[in-house]
Amino acid sequence: MSTSATVGAAAADSPAPRQARSAAQAWRRLTRQPATLFGLLVVVALVVCAVFAPLIAPYAPEATDFDAAMSGPTAAHPLGTDDLGRDLLSQLIFGARTALLVAGGSVLVAMLIGVPLGLLLGYKGGWYDRLGARGLDIADALPGLTVGFVVIAVLGRGILVLILAIGLIFCMNFARLTRAITLGERKKLYVESARVSGLTHRQVIFGQVLPNLAGPLAVQGAVFLGSAIKVEAALSFLGLGLGEDQPSWGGMLGVAAEHQADHPWMAIAPGVAIVLTVLAFNLLGDGINDALSGRRRTPYRRTRLMGRAVPQRGEQDPTLDSVPAQESASAADADTLLDVRDLRIVADKPDGSSVVLVDGVSLSVRRGEIMGLLGESGSGKSMLAKAILGLLPAGVRVDSGSVTLDGRTLTGCTENELRSVRGTGLGAVFQNPQANLSPVHTVGRQLVDVIRAHGTTSTKQARARAAELLELVGVDDVGRRLDQYPYQFSGGMAQRVAIAIALAGEPDLLILDEATSALDVTTQSQVLDLVLDLRERLDMGIINITHDLGVAAETCDRVAVLFRGDLLEVDEVHTLFDHPSHPYTAALLAAHPTADHDVDRLPTIPDDLVVDGALTGK
Amino acid sequence: MGKLVAYRLAFAVPQLIIISIVVFSLTYLVPGSPAAAMLGTAATPESIAQVEAQLGLDRPPVERFVEWFGALLTGDLGTSFRSGTPVADMLVERVPATLSIVFGGMLVALLIGVGAGVFTGTRPGTPADRIVTGGTVLGLAIPEFWLGLILTTVFAVQLGWIPIIAWTPLTEDPLGWAVGIILPSIALGLTGGAIIARQTRAAMVTSMASPFTDTLTAAGVPRRVQVMRYGVKNSLVPVLASAGVTFAILIGVSFVVEKVFALPGLGTLMLSSVISQDFAVVQGVVMVTAVLVIAVNLLLDIGYGLINPQARPQ
Repeated sequence: MSTSATVGAAAADSPAPRQARSAAQAWRRLTRQPATLFGLLVVVALVVCAVFAPLIAPYAPEATDFDAAMSGPTAAHPLGTDDLGRDLLSQLIFGARTALLVAGGSVLVAMLIGVPLGLLLGYKGGWYDRLGARGLDIADALPGLTVGFVVIAVLGRGILVLILAIGLIFCMNFARLTRAITLGERKKLYVESARVSGLTHRQVIFGQVLPNLAGPLAVQGAVFLGSAIKVEAALSFLGLGLGEDQPSWGGMLGVAAEHQADHPWMAIAPGVAIVLTVLAFNLLGDGINDALSGRRRTPYRRTRLMGRAVPQRGEQDPTLDSVPAQESASAADADTLLDVRDLRIVADKPDGSSVVLVDGVSLSVRRGEIMGLLGESGSGKSMLAKAILGLLPAGVRVDSGSVTLDGRTLTGCTENELRSVRGTGLGAVFQNPQANLSPVHTVGRQLVDVIRAHGTTSTKQARARAAELLELVGVDDVGRRLDQYPYQFSGGMAQRVAIAIALAGEPDLLILDEATSALDVTTQSQVLDLVLDLRERLDMGIINITHDLGVAAETCDRVAVLFRGDLLEVDEVHTLFDHPSHPYTAALLAAHPTADHDVDRLPTIPDDLVVDGALTGK
Repeated sequence: MGKLVAYRLAFAVPQLIIISIVVFSLTYLVPGSPAAAMLGTAATPESIAQVEAQLGLDRPPVERFVEWFGALLTGDLGTSFRSGTPVADMLVERVPATLSIVFGGMLVALLIGVGAGVFTGTRPGTPADRIVTGGTVLGLAIPEFWLGLILTTVFAVQLGWIPIIAWTPLTEDPLGWAVGIILPSIALGLTGGAIIARQTRAAMVTSMASPFTDTLTAAGVPRRVQVMRYGVKNSLVPVLASAGVTFAILIGVSFVVEKVFALPGLGTLMLSSVISQDFAVVQGVVMVTAVLVIAVNLLLDIGYGLINPQARPQ
């Protein structure tokens, strides 16, 4: 415990008020979690029992009452008595003393050994660290309890030996944790700057590193207090803990084990006491961890349905009248593949309010057409794509409007209904090439699974088709490539594989969600050429989402410009680039850097165009 | 794959040598003379000198270590001070029971852990998730030996479904062996299962929210395949990565659980040797435990290389 006192003092010394504020904030968060409060309550009750045991316990723990031996629960002995007639309730209460003393002492010992060791390794680095880390790995081969046995074998029984034995079991964990955090902290800039400004090693460790260690150590300390209580109980149960005359929960269970045939009830109370105590410390540890990391246990779930029924246009918010150009419904002719009508996407906030991410967007894509979705980060272009696919993240939903693919309305479809459209009607390629593929499956396996989802049942046929698809997207040496893992593919090649996966069901509409943004320029143009080629050969409609004006200009037939959830304009690519009708589009185009003329400063979107996140008309 | 095996072996050998040095030096750490400690109240100066000579404590440590280590390599771990039996023979007799319940416990832990982790990880935030995850938090708090005590009381003593002392060697009667290790394996595997469940759940949640799941979903792959093939395999990566640690923990805990089920394993041998300060046997048990942990870790690392291609040295 004195370790955390040192840490606390060091934190108070540090000039940053952030520490104090975040500690207060952490405490408030802590007390708002019911499970943590429960843990805290149990621990407090336990400490009270341990400290005031002689006042609370009805009998002295060693007082024998031979007349009442093995009595079972009675009015005089609520939990019954053992073979010597000792009161089990009193033993249980005094047992809390032993448990807390041994657990507290051993965690202290573990910290006193582990923390300085970890600091040394992490702070010194180099050979110290390499040897030390290896040493920690080697120690892994010795199970904790074996270490405990050995210490007791060598030093004999007694409370100090018990504390040392359990402390040694956990000291490696503290060393490992401290080392990892110190390594991390040491690399951070502020430690560097602290060194430059003339602080001593001592000041850096106590002022900078230890305060950052305090939280993780508190978490680990709480959890190991629970583990130490389990170990203490196990060793006492085996008769290796304290003497017979010292009441302990494990020792009580040892006696109970001898009488399990005739008096099975004896095992219940000490066992429940251990479970409650360990549970309390674990919950406390989890609670501290959550409070420090500021994590909230919020539901994490994808909305199953794509939103409500479509309201009539007239029902909509009148303020939407000012909304700029919408693609007129007449654009939806016979050739129309995808038709998005008045689509409104909102994100629900925990307080019940919601934020509009996409506000009443309408647009359509024809067969064989490439539609570009252009906009800066946060303009809602990716949300639009995710909504079309029914892949909106948790907490985000379609509020109103409709998505129709080839005459079939997708909004309101269940997951199952959507599945029949995905792959065959819609295909998608997302941004990060490596993350788009499962890292532990071969590329062939992933392609085969997708192909088999669309009716091919024989693995052999599916594999042949997978090879065909890889060839189609321009991957060489297909036979070998099929058995390789994603990490063996370059970004561009991995993205070709992702395209092959998207094409496996022969979709009518392919959505490229920033699919080439993470690639270098040469690879990007190769992949875009492939997309143009595929469009010709497969007669697909394509939505190409990008923030790159060059990509939009080169590949798209028509372009839609989005800004903060609003669709500003949709037009033929040349018209839009040559004669933008909206000032934002014009500003966006002007901000595109070109090598043609020499400028001192890169042009940006003028401030007066955007006020408080809204566009100010002309 | 060959490279991975060679690399792991290259680490295991120095690991074993260092552990054997630590194990060897145990007798030197005993306060006073280990001979006096072993003889207890019966010690006389003559008997102490005699035992010290028998233990080789009258010779220089390095010379004794070389001799001890050489004997160790030939499988000679000395003789028990108490029974006069060769330690190696005692260990060989005890290893099967320990390995039986530890592997049984691993199996139970994996079944419970991966099952619960996949179940909760695919429906995070739902009431079902909260109940099962709450159960794993409780499972972590239950002492294995107490669970064993409750299990024997209920199923062996009260219901009489399983004999109270049920150990039967596998070679004698496979069915009897299986019956005998069911309860110890459950007692041993529950906590490990709770740990694995937490790991699997976290990995499953990450996996189901990752871009590759979106790619598969968008391509029309059914959710069942996403979960059972892609989710499970990706979730097994962290579980396998820490399975070696789980195994080491289970061996340690098995020493306590054995006592509850009166199993003739390493734990009961260790316990009696610790109490009687029979150091050669204690050293032998520690050595064989370390060898088991290192061997299983070696196998697991190779298995990890099989499931996670990036863990294979290129």
